[in-house]
Amino acid sequence: MKDKNENKKSSRRQFLKKGLVAGAGMVAGGSLLAAYIDKSKPTSGEKVKVLTTEGELVEVDKSLIHSPRVSREESHKGIPGRKFVMVIDLAKCKNARKCVESCQKGHHLPSSQEFMKVYLLQDSEKSAPYWFPKPCFHCDNPLCVSVCPVGATYKRSDGIVLIDNERCIGCKFCMTGCPYSTRVFAWKDYPEYAEDKEPYSPEASSPGKEGTVSKCDFCPDLVRMGKLPYCAQNCPMGVIYFGDIDEDTVTNGAETFRFSELIRDRSGYRYLEVLGTRPSVYYLPPVERQFPVESGFNDLKESVKNRFKNTPYGKTHKL
Amino acid sequence: MENKDTKEKLLRQFAPQLEKVSSATLVWILFLLGVIGLGVYAFVTQVTKGHIVTGMRDNVVWGIYIVNFIFFMGMSYSGAIISGTLQLFRTEWRKPIIRMAEYLAIISLLIGPGYILLCIGRLDRLYYLALFGRIQSPITWDVIAISTDIFGCLIFLYLSILRDIASLRDFSELKIPAWRKKVYSMLALGYTGTPEQEKRLRRATDIMATMVIAIAIIVYSVLAWIFSVTLQPGWHSTIFGPYFVIAAVYSGTGVLIIAMWVFRKVYHLDQYITRKHFVAMGVLMVVLAALFGYFTFSDYLTKWYGSEKNDESLIRILFTEYYWPFIFSNYIGVLIPLLVVGIAKLRTITNITLSALVVIVALWFNRYLIVIPTLESPYLPIQDSRPDWVNYTGTWVEFSLMAAGVALFCLLFTLASKFVPVMNVSEMAEIPKPESSELFKAEESLL
Amino acid sequence: MQTQNKIRIIFIFLLCCYNLVTSAQIKKDSATAITPTITFTYLNSNDTIILNANIFDKKEKGVFAIKNAVIEFFASGDKKTRNLGQAKADEEGNAVLKLPVAKGLPQDKDGKTTYTAKFNGKDKYRPALETFTAKFARITVNFSKEDSLRFILVTATQVDRKDAIKPIQKEKIIVYVPRLFNLLKIGETDLDVAGKGKVEYPGNLVGDSLGNIIVIARIEDNDVFGNVQGQSSISWGIPKQYYLAEKPTRELWTPIAPIWMIVTLIIMLTGVWAHYIYAVIQLIKIKQISKKKPDSSS
Repeated sequence: MKDKNENKKSSRRQFLKKGLVAGAGMVAGGSLLAAYIDKSKPTSGEKVKVLTTEGELVEVDKSLIHSPRVSREESHKGIPGRKFVMVIDLAKCKNARKCVESCQKGHHLPSSQEFMKVYLLQDSEKSAPYWFPKPCFHCDNPLCVSVCPVGATYKRSDGIVLIDNERCIGCKFCMTGCPYSTRVFAWKDYPEYAEDKEPYSPEASSPGKEGTVSKCDFCPDLVRMGKLPYCAQNCPMGVIYFGDIDEDTVTNGAETFRFSELIRDRSGYRYLEVLGTRPSVYYLPPVERQFPVESGFNDLKESVKNRFKNTPYGKTHKL
Repeated sequence: MENKDTKEKLLRQFAPQLEKVSSATLVWILFLLGVIGLGVYAFVTQVTKGHIVTGMRDNVVWGIYIVNFIFFMGMSYSGAIISGTLQLFRTEWRKPIIRMAEYLAIISLLIGPGYILLCIGRLDRLYYLALFGRIQSPITWDVIAISTDIFGCLIFLYLSILRDIASLRDFSELKIPAWRKKVYSMLALGYTGTPEQEKRLRRATDIMATMVIAIAIIVYSVLAWIFSVTLQPGWHSTIFGPYFVIAAVYSGTGVLIIAMWVFRKVYHLDQYITRKHFVAMGVLMVVLAALFGYFTFSDYLTKWYGSEKNDESLIRILFTEYYWPFIFSNYIGVLIPLLVVGIAKLRTITNITLSALVVIVALWFNRYLIVIPTLESPYLPIQDSRPDWVNYTGTWVEFSLMAAGVALFCLLFTLASKFVPVMNVSEMAEIPKPESSELFKAEESLL
Repeated sequence: MQTQNKIRIIFIFLLCCYNLVTSAQIKKDSATAITPTITFTYLNSNDTIILNANIFDKKEKGVFAIKNAVIEFFASGDKKTRNLGQAKADEEGNAVLKLPVAKGLPQDKDGKTTYTAKFNGKDKYRPALETFTAKFARITVNFSKEDSLRFILVTATQVDRKDAIKPIQKEKIIVYVPRLFNLLKIGETDLDVAGKGKVEYPGNLVGDSLGNIIVIARIEDNDVFGNVQGQSSISWGIPKQYYLAEKPTRELWTPIAPIWMIVTLIIMLTGVWAHYIYAVIQLIKIKQISKKKPDSSS
């Protein structure tokens, strides 16, 4: 019986997380449904959450949705009334690499392609090394978009910079244009691409296409279903916060903060602000760290560990 | 005014090359076709297996292909600028070599863009450039500029060979098949050298000479801007436009000197292309060497002196990993022509040609050092355990295609020389006007 | 107290027995039978009870949701047990059941209802069961303005047996505003003896485009009431600025180019091609002259 109570407690605890999300879904019912809902099909009684064209989250019958992935044309528009932002708390990152792995799995990427990369940075000789997860910064002045000769990469009204792999000619100019080495190229037709059986959508960046450029997309396909991007969802430390900057809120799933307060209280900054790219990703400096930097080397694959051999830290410490 | 006798004599001199293909030339052409065949095989490999067969990876996304692109485009602009300038200034010593410069302009212009196509991942979507082109992209500027340039150079070349074609049409001794005669007669546009025709031709040629110079400068600046509009350390430089133009003309003078040497030997043109011409081109090369050295120095000096973190790491790579290529391209490549042409005793045809060869190779490495080390030192340090993702090395596919490009260049040059003489026969036959002969004398005193 | 507990225990016991039997059968079928875990959550929101049973398979590598598992829901009180219906687990293993009317559910002496989520087993999965007990409660949210200060007023009531309404005393209330993914906490308070609480409304909260904002008050993780929420809307939010995507700007990165760029390009191209055309016209003239000449000579 005591066991039962314990269970009940954990069950209640569990509620806290799940219930919050459910709550958000429920309160916003009754608005216009998203464009991709097919009303001709019979209902199944199974509900899924989607974002409406108004940018609100509602629950609809699953059978009404033909695919959670929007068309290429639709993907140009952006989710109305939203402007997405990401906050990465460097104090909590211990290079668990769950962001990288879940992202690769979610986007059907081979291990050689990483939309999210985790760097070991050290700003100067005497300053402390820290782990630095780096997605695409979805800049508000995106040089990659400026230099694209065919409009294959574009910035949407919700701030997300996407790539249309059906349009991309693979000139790689955007890769040299991006100062953050964010973009990756499909050097061959990786077998992982074929694992994705759903139709292609720039919002999903999948299935990948040989000879084209791709990158982190802020997972708008998940956002449309009211879910956080893979990296934010799967980080065991809750390092990655995601949200709508116009709504002034970011969340890592467990904790929700007002963006402005988080940035104010934790001295949030943007990486290489001097370049004038105006990123949509903010970093919280690695102060009062929860983990020593060494803990980032635990349980790492040898190939991953070797990446850091040539860093200033790797040269002076045994990895 | 034309000297008919000189013209006949010259045409007789060139007739054998136009009439038949010697066995040695045939072997040469077959060899070139073999090299091009290897390139075709490499290209097929790249298309079927993907760009993974090249040495390019996510950091160094542009490799030897783009270096060759810059290199060939540079030769083309150089050809255009040299021929255009010499034409406009009516420089006397241009006559035997201006045709080569024009050939250089158009032939390398036909090969160069091929290299940027090799960089493109989806050649099947190439027409998107026209269909969805965005004016904001320097690549679109480049597409527009290069296609404009191709038309300009073709018109300029045509204007320049028109008189020779007319001469060939009228040259009864030429033993060539009837169809070729027909082609000449068609292309000659009924030009007979009436004062009216001559006036119009001169006017058109001068206009086009001005145009090709202007376009060459714009197009090559556009090419430089592809690099300098990005934020990459090492590329984000205001000096890149003029720097690229100067480097282009510099490399082109080298190629032209070598072309002069080759055709002089192969077609026995010793009496027309003399040491005088080599020295004149050599002087031009030295002036450009100085300018090139000056631009290179300015560019690296400012980067080194300010030593911004990323510039500093780039300079460090250049002086460690790329020490010898750097010294070769930016020191030896500048000093050799200065010494060879500067010191009167060394100023021989062979020496000038050898220094031209050094210049070409140095300039190729110069472009390599502009493209690759920059991509190897991005803002965020490359952290990768795969050596080929950290450092770039070209693969056999890239080198084969590079060789194929050079072979194609030689082949087209050979074929062009079989169609119209490599020397502007009509201009050579022209009786120099008194004032220009004065000018020529002035030049002569320098030699 | 004793009888109702007994009944509940008997009910659970019977369910367990049933489970044991079915699980024994499955055990025979496959040696690798897995016992799934259910986490059961209960939320009472504006008189709607939302039951969510998350069913998953806990492995060393992590948690794997059991898709399409059919979960049956029951409500039981002192005497009666009612089948509430069933739901299918989605991709993430969530089977959700919504009860629109809270009235008429079986209750025990204290007005509490025990909810059960039951999985009967399928393929390699053994049956599983989870229960949760809660008393029905109601929260209402109101707003008031006192001078320049704005307040959120919360009233919480509980429904006893025979529908007697009593205030909920001394419980913690948390106030949220719903956001895209989650609820954003904006304050908390303890209820007084009358079941009332007051929270100051913080400024600069963004509402919808008209400035409407929904405020949710909650009792969370409560031993008696479980999770209860009430909500209300007010136009105190800052109207959200919608980015006008229909009005394209002429930036470098937008689909259309800056005007100066287009003008420059047109001027340069016109200039160059005009000269080309001029040169070609000269060539045509040369051709024409040659045609005329034979005529004049003959």
